[in-house]
Amino acid sequence: MKWLTRMLAALVLLACLATIRPAKAQTIDEILSRGTINIGVLVDLPPYGILNDKQEPDGYDIDVARLMGTYLGVKVNLVPLTSPNRIPFLLTNKVDLIVATFGITPERAKQVMFSIPYSAIENVVFAGKDKKVASLDDLKGLRVGVPRGTVQDVILNKTLGSAVKLARFDDDPSTYQALLTGQVDAIAETGLTGDDFYKNHPEGNIERKFILLQQPNGITMRKDQWNLHQWVNTFVYFTKNNGELNALYEKWFHKPLPNLPVF
Amino acid sequence: MRQLNAGDFEFLLLATRWTILLSLYAAIGGGIVGLAIALMRTSASAALRWIAIGYIRVFQGTPLLLQLFLVFFGGDMLGIPLGAWLSAILGFSLNAGAFLGEIWRGSIQAVPNGQIEAAKALGLHYAPRMLRVVLPQASRIAIPPTVGFLVNLIKSTSLAAIIGFVELTRAGQMLNNATFRPFVIFGIVSAIYFVLCWPLTVTSRRLERRLALSTRR
Repeated sequence: MKWLTRMLAALVLLACLATIRPAKAQTIDEILSRGTINIGVLVDLPPYGILNDKQEPDGYDIDVARLMGTYLGVKVNLVPLTSPNRIPFLLTNKVDLIVATFGITPERAKQVMFSIPYSAIENVVFAGKDKKVASLDDLKGLRVGVPRGTVQDVILNKTLGSAVKLARFDDDPSTYQALLTGQVDAIAETGLTGDDFYKNHPEGNIERKFILLQQPNGITMRKDQWNLHQWVNTFVYFTKNNGELNALYEKWFHKPLPNLPVF
Repeated sequence: MRQLNAGDFEFLLLATRWTILLSLYAAIGGGIVGLAIALMRTSASAALRWIAIGYIRVFQGTPLLLQLFLVFFGGDMLGIPLGAWLSAILGFSLNAGAFLGEIWRGSIQAVPNGQIEAAKALGLHYAPRMLRVVLPQASRIAIPPTVGFLVNLIKSTSLAAIIGFVELTRAGQMLNNATFRPFVIFGIVSAIYFVLCWPLTVTSRRLERRLALSTRR
């Protein structure tokens, strides 16, 4: 799959070059006069974005996107994306911005622009109850499952290198399943979903071991959308202060919004 | 995490509609492109032959996934936004055209040369020679590999998920990511694909038998 990642990266680069063409940057005024905003979301990352029991997009990200629409006073057009096509959709102007649990990293910021964090994802290492796994060092020599291209994939690869045997899966369900069926010794995954999944599968004897990292996520825009960026930051700041963001977080995660650093 | 419900099955069936429609349009588009390529590939003009060979090499030699990606995002770069539907149809048609063109080229060349010479001796020009003599015989040879390719085409429409097209496989993935019931969901998805592909194979076998009967000497 390496060629695929590489080709996709090359295409994304091409897409970046394309944005040099006459700027189609969406300013806040353009969105207001159009009356709709196209927001890219994920529908395969519970509970951030899922299909609910009516098969409609739902989840924390979707609620944040809808709240944004309310504050703008425009109609929200949700565009379901997958994690690999998020940046291409954004850079080719197919969406105005994305609210898709996108972790803020300097590498990604070379291509896109992040708002201040509006949520955080907790990356946790899960393993069997009989295994002693309390720190990164304990993962040495183990087979560790991660969803491909995620932050935990990058971190484990960087810190442990060849000391750990990484097994990269296409999505979260396959990663959880792989630990349950014993194809890997441990996995690094979203904490809350993992807790839920392994509670429903007590036969696996699997428990949460330690927190790998807290990853703050930003609402993501193209690099030239300064005007929109300023509004989005204001929106995040405001809803964080008046408790609305916290209420949405409580609704989906049953705990208060973690302390989110700003920049 | 939520439970599976009846609406989820309906969602899968509705997504099947897109798989069927996309396969159908891709087969029609691919058929048109393929016929043109096959005729160019067997033409007397060297230039046409080389263009067709180049086309086939490019589309058979690069991954379908990237062809779709290029059509979808490339359209925007050139300032012609195509949308997911049109891009998917265009991408699959161009790709299917290369494979069908090569399959049909083989079938055309498998028609005994004596037939073509006899047609020429009767004074038939290119168009009537092809339409009345070569293609009817070639089509019989072409049926099994063409159906084989179409069955594959139906299954490869799942690749359209990369450009945001929600067809059967992608719909299954989305449900699995919400409910974590891979065996139930992908079992159903596989069964639906089977229901789509199997009749095609059966029809092909029947058609083959009937056509074989009509030419038995």
